[in-house]
Amino acid sequence: MEPVTVAAVQAAPVLLDRDATIAKVVTFSEKAAAEGARLVAFPEAFVPGYPDWVWRTRPWDAVASTLYARLLDQALVVGSAATDLLARTARRLGIWLSVGASERDEGGATLYNTLLHFGPDGSLAARHRKLVPTGGERLVWGTGDGSGLTVTDTGFGRLGGLICWENYMPLARAALYARGVDIYLAPTWDNSDVWVPTLRHIAKEGRTYVIGVTACIRAADLPGTLPGRAELYGGVDDWLSRGNTAIIGPDGAVLAGPLTGEEGIVLAEIDTGKARASRQQFDPAGHYSRSDVLRLTVDTTPRTAVSFRRHHDAAEPASPSGEPG
Amino acid sequence: MTALRVAAVQASYTLMDRDTTVDRVAALTADAAAQGAELIVFPEVFVPGTPIWIDTRPVWDGDEDWFGLLADNAVVVPGPASARLAGVAADHQVWLVVGVDERERHGSTIYNTVLYYSPAGELAARHRKLVPTGSERTVWGMGDGSTLPVVDIGTARISGLTCWENYMPLARFHLYAQGVNVWVAPTLAQGDGWIATLRHLARENRMFVLGVNPVLHADQIPAGFPARESLVPPGYLEQNGPWLEEGNTVIVAPDGTVIAGPVRRREEILIADLDLREVAIQRRHLDPVGHYNRPDIFRLYVDTAPRPPVIVDPAAAAPQNRKEEPNEHHPSDQRIRG
Repeated sequence: MEPVTVAAVQAAPVLLDRDATIAKVVTFSEKAAAEGARLVAFPEAFVPGYPDWVWRTRPWDAVASTLYARLLDQALVVGSAATDLLARTARRLGIWLSVGASERDEGGATLYNTLLHFGPDGSLAARHRKLVPTGGERLVWGTGDGSGLTVTDTGFGRLGGLICWENYMPLARAALYARGVDIYLAPTWDNSDVWVPTLRHIAKEGRTYVIGVTACIRAADLPGTLPGRAELYGGVDDWLSRGNTAIIGPDGAVLAGPLTGEEGIVLAEIDTGKARASRQQFDPAGHYSRSDVLRLTVDTTPRTAVSFRRHHDAAEPASPSGEPG
Repeated sequence: MTALRVAAVQASYTLMDRDTTVDRVAALTADAAAQGAELIVFPEVFVPGTPIWIDTRPVWDGDEDWFGLLADNAVVVPGPASARLAGVAADHQVWLVVGVDERERHGSTIYNTVLYYSPAGELAARHRKLVPTGSERTVWGMGDGSTLPVVDIGTARISGLTCWENYMPLARFHLYAQGVNVWVAPTLAQGDGWIATLRHLARENRMFVLGVNPVLHADQIPAGFPARESLVPPGYLEQNGPWLEEGNTVIVAPDGTVIAGPVRRREEILIADLDLREVAIQRRHLDPVGHYNRPDIFRLYVDTAPRPPVIVDPAAAAPQNRKEEPNEHHPSDQRIRG
């Protein structure tokens, strides 16, 4: 494998403004590509911004409903003009582009916390919907199925990832290790001191590079038009997320970051051949597993609540939104 | 408050000397018990110590006598050393957890084993490490799925894994599912990366974690040790320094906060009072085997059957009459008295 540069973009979304936030994705991607990055990763739910208000409102307050309606409207739909723009950006810059989004089916009203990976050929290479939202997030996001637990070969390493506290699901991680992940993305909203130790643990457990990427946003960054802006949020000292972006090597060493308190592009050079070679010491899916004692099965079937079929026909494809963007 | 006072004992062993090291366990247990500890945890293979030659020399390069010493000084369960450890637990009315090099009575394969003794002086559980790491594979065999216990000690449910076994997500998950809330990780792992792992484990299962290491300086190798001068070659000391075991003992709370240690390059008994209510309170945030699991997607199957090399079965010719009872000499019977 050739060493390549990867980038983790710590930035503020324009909260609940999909197109303005995607414009920031494009700008930061151009900057990262100019630095030589072959992979550019953005934070959890970056488009159109993490629904931070779930931690500030009472669950059924009117303002929470208003904000949900806005989020639904501004969410990303795979196959729309918005994902087309992301795909074209990846192709134009010749990069792998990974973006967290609040995402929904075209006609759907349930949102998913989704990680999208666009390839340099302009395809949507993979989509993962977070399996379990955390606490207040359960009031805005549904749960994904096992079909997104995939790993994609980029040519410079195998790319996969989990979102935020999904990274505390040992079995989900085991699934990605078994798929041979070399570059593990962990977009998050977690600002705590323990997060970087968690990234270091995952790197060492999976002998994989880990890219933790976090938004950096304070109340002063919020649009004045945001419903509930005045009652829920303060000013420059009111951080929604300070950021915690870091890139970790397969031996658990911090290669870059953590960056906090400012927007920025965290860069590191990675060589996934080194990650694979370090599995001589530990390989959770190989010589350091015990398949005679511990055996995991993962159901990767796409699940939809309703399947439509016509008399005499075979079942139709489950979800049209699964098509490449 | 459901409190439990625990002690994590970072100490030196007398290399490949079982009985002297058991004396150390007795003395250090008395010390920790005098400080009120109810659960006292010793390091990985503390009795009779780490077979350090597996890292200091090429494989099978002049290690005959050393391995002979290891085999002679390994702990047999049940046996005199195990009975002695059980007596130490009973003398002080404590739960005592000790890492040992273990072998079968007539066996020559060594297992990396953790023994759990109750205040009643019983061997409550035994865990044989499932996978040794790298050079360890030249001295230790592999345990089966029958020794992955969680022990209910009344105030807590204790369990754990040994050293890099802690990087096995499926093994951890199996123990999480049994309700462990105090995790013991006897280990030889050094450095900050290991502390990061223990903090992660604590936060992953919202449990208390005790990481317990030995500490050993090259000067502490007994004077009369066979081929002492070639055990730790000068080149190894130059590269790695004189601390053969640097220590890294630490206690972590269920939110991932370090509450004691890490302590390095000295002996020390870390004491902490654990409020077990904190576990349930933290698990409202995240419970990896409950509300933060997806059993519709993930199914973990665990084979907990003991796997002796031979199943003695006089009725083998008539399998329909076979009774599924363990042989009385079964090596993995966990209820053997110590």
